[in-house]
Amino acid sequence: MCTGRIDPQFVLKAFQSGADGVLILGCHPGDCHYKEGNYKALRRFHLLKRVVKQFGVDEGRLRLDWVSASEGEKFVEVITDMVATVKKLGPLTTAKEELRVG
Amino acid sequence: MQIRVGVYICKCGTNISENIDIDELIQFSSRLENVAYVKDQPLLCSEDGKNFLASDVAQEKPERVVIVACTPKEHEKTFRNTLLRADFNPYLFQMVNVREQVAWVTADKAAATEKAKAYIRAAVKRVTLHEPLEKKEIECNTDVLVIGAGPAGMEAALLLAKAGRKVYLVEKNSFVGGRVARYEEVFPKMECASCMLEPKMDEILHDENIELITSSEVVEVLGYLGNFSVKIKKRATCVDKEKCIGCGACYEPCPVSVRNEFDYHLSDRKAIHVPYTGALPNVPVLDQGHCLRFAKTDSAMVQEALDLGLITQEESENYKKQDCTACQEACMFDAITYDRQDEILERNIGCIIVAIGFELFDPSVLPQFGYGKIPEVYTGLEFERILSQTGPTGGKLFMKNGQEPRSLAIIHCVGSRDKKHKEYCSGVCCLYALKFARLAEKHAPGAKIYDIYADWCVPGKDNQEFLDSLKEKKNVYFIHTNLPLSVAVKQNKDSLSVSCVDVSGKENPLAADMVVLCPAIIPARDTSRLSEMLLITSGRDGFFAEGHTKLAPVSTNIEGVFIAGCCQGPKDIQGSVAQGAAAAGQVLSALVPGRKLELDVIIAEADENSCAGCMTCIGLCPYKAIMFDKEKKIAVVNTVLCKGCGTCVAACPSGCLTGKHFTEEQIFAEIEEVLK
Repeated sequence: MCTGRIDPQFVLKAFQSGADGVLILGCHPGDCHYKEGNYKALRRFHLLKRVVKQFGVDEGRLRLDWVSASEGEKFVEVITDMVATVKKLGPLTTAKEELRVG
Repeated sequence: MQIRVGVYICKCGTNISENIDIDELIQFSSRLENVAYVKDQPLLCSEDGKNFLASDVAQEKPERVVIVACTPKEHEKTFRNTLLRADFNPYLFQMVNVREQVAWVTADKAAATEKAKAYIRAAVKRVTLHEPLEKKEIECNTDVLVIGAGPAGMEAALLLAKAGRKVYLVEKNSFVGGRVARYEEVFPKMECASCMLEPKMDEILHDENIELITSSEVVEVLGYLGNFSVKIKKRATCVDKEKCIGCGACYEPCPVSVRNEFDYHLSDRKAIHVPYTGALPNVPVLDQGHCLRFAKTDSAMVQEALDLGLITQEESENYKKQDCTACQEACMFDAITYDRQDEILERNIGCIIVAIGFELFDPSVLPQFGYGKIPEVYTGLEFERILSQTGPTGGKLFMKNGQEPRSLAIIHCVGSRDKKHKEYCSGVCCLYALKFARLAEKHAPGAKIYDIYADWCVPGKDNQEFLDSLKEKKNVYFIHTNLPLSVAVKQNKDSLSVSCVDVSGKENPLAADMVVLCPAIIPARDTSRLSEMLLITSGRDGFFAEGHTKLAPVSTNIEGVFIAGCCQGPKDIQGSVAQGAAAAGQVLSALVPGRKLELDVIIAEADENSCAGCMTCIGLCPYKAIMFDKEKKIAVVNTVLCKGCGTCVAACPSGCLTGKHFTEEQIFAEIEEVLK
C-alpha cells in the first residue's frame, strides 16, 4: 500500500464519518517504494483540497506531508502541529451531511 | 449473515498490558458483532504463543482472525505463517497495532484503552470483508540476456555459461571486448591489453552456452523476472560467418574509403572491413551506410558521410550509387551476399544484465582546450589508438604530420569535478594519464611530458607506486593546478602553446607538440533508451541507478534486471569485471532451474464488465503492468508485473479496478468503524 492508493473518497468518507481532520503521510518524493505513488497522491491532494473547501471544510483540516520511517522527530512535529491546528478549529460541524460518499 | 471472528489479544509482556486495560478490551470485543470468542496471550510471537495460536485456530475453526498486538511490519508475516500451519488462509486475518500506535504513544490508560477499542472495532468489521487469497507460482525461464560484450558483460556471460545457463550476449559493435579492445597496455602493471583480453574473447566465441549476437541492439523488452521476451535487431552485415574464413581478400578491392570510427576517425577503412586487425569474431562487416550498392540516393548518402566527417567534399565526388560487386568477386568462399536484410530476433529469457559501458564527455564544449579546432589535441581514447599496434600509426607515437612529438601535455579533469559540467571524479583518468606518460616516454624517448593535474586520485593496490615511479622520471613534469583547471591551449604558427596557472598562482607557458585530454566518463548514448525500455531508473549523473549504493550495487529497481560496469558509474577494468561477476551471481540465485517463482497476491484486478476502456490506469501504472485489450476495449492487469501499489485503483473512474486486500469496501468499513 502506498499514498498512491488513497482514493479522494477515503478522505471525504473520513470527514463524513466524523473526523475533524485528515492527515496523509507519505514517503518523500523520490523515495517511493512503488516509484511514484506519492507524486500521484500529491496531484490528487491539490484537487481534493479545492473540493473539500467548497464543502465548507477549513483547509487546515486536511494536510499532506512527507515523513520517512527514520524521521521520528519530524513525525512527532507534524502530528503535534496537526492536532494543535485541528483543536484550534474545533469540531467539524458544518457540511458533514453533504459529504455523503460511498 | 454471521461470520465467526476469533480475536486474539497479545499483552506483549507488559508492553501493551501496562498501558491498556486488557480485561476491558476482552469484554468490549466479545460484544462486537460477529465476534465468536476473544482470547489473550502473554506473548503471541513466542514459540509457546505461536503454538497456542496454531492449535487454537485449528480447534476453534474461526472464519476470520483478528490479532491485537504490535505493528504488522514486525509480525504480520510471523502470524500469517502460523495461521498457515492451522490450514487457515492467511489473508482472512487482520492485525491491530495497539503497541506502537497506542500503548507506546498514548500516556493516559483510559484514553489508550478507548483508542484500542476503536481500532479493534474497525479491524473486526474489515476482516469480515476479507477474501481468501491464494499464492500463485509460475514457471520461469532461466536463460539470460547480457547487453554489451565489454569486460563486465563478457565476465557475466562466461560465468553464467559455466554454470550451464544459456546466455544471449548482444553487442552493438561487430566485435567483442568493448572499449578495452582499443587499448594497448593497461595500468598500473602495463600489461598488454589484447593478451589479457583475447583468451576471454576466445572463450566467448567458443562456449556452446553463449549465443553471441553482434552488430545488434535490443529494441523491445516485455515481461518480468523469469519471463522476459525480447526483440533484438541484427543489422545485415552481408557476410556469412559460417563461410567466411577471415582472410581479408574483400577489403582491398572495395572502392569506398571512409574514416574508421574504431580509430575515432584517425584512420581510414573500406565499406567492407574489420574495425581493427585482430577483431573477434574475425568476420568483416559490410557497412551498408557507405557501400555504393546500398546508397538510398546518392545525395543522401554523401551528405550523411559529409556531416559525420567521414569524407571530405573532394572525396564525395567519388561516391555515386552503383552496382558494385568488387568484394563479392574477391571472396573465394561465396561468403558475401547482398540481399541480406536487417533481422529481428526474438528470444525468451528470465533475467537481463545491462553492461553497456561509457562514453567520453565531449571536450569541444570547453573551447579553452582547443579540441576539434586544433589538430594535435586528442582525447584519451584517441590517444589509446595512436599508441596501439593496430591503430592508425601502427603503434608509433606520431603526430598527424608523421613526426614524433618532442613534447606532450596531458591534461586531467576535463569536464570532471567541474560544477558546470560533471561534478563527479571519473576515477580512472589519473591512472591512465600516468600510463600515457609512461608510454609516451617509451615511444618518444627524450620528449618532455607535462602532466597537468588538480589532485591525485590513485587508490588501490600498486597504483601509488605507479605514480611514484613516474615522479622519478627526469622528462616527466607534474604541474599542480587548481580546479576548475585554468588551462588554455593555443595554436601558434608551428607549435602549440599550453598556458596553465599552477597552485602558487604562477603562470606556466609551455610549448607542446601534442595535447592529450582526459575527459569525464559519461553514460553511454544508449543509456536513456535502455532506461526507458527496461523501466530502470538513472541517477543524477545519468548512469543507471543501483538498488542500494553499498548493499545492492548491481541491482536495479526492476526485479530481474541487473547492471554491471561503467554504465553504473565510472570504474576501471577490474571494477567492471567484479561487477560482471556480481551480476552473474545475482542471476544465479534469482532464478534456479526447476524452482518456481512465487507471485505477489496483493495486486490490482480489473473487472471486465465494468471497465469503460478509458485507459486512465494505463498511463498511471509505474510498472507498465496494465495492458489495453484492443478487441474487448478494456484494461487487463498483468498479475505478475503488478506490485499492488493501488495507484490505478484510486484513479479508476468507473470503479472497475479492485486493489486486492485493500478494497474500497474494506477501507470504507475501517474508516467508518474507527470514527464511530
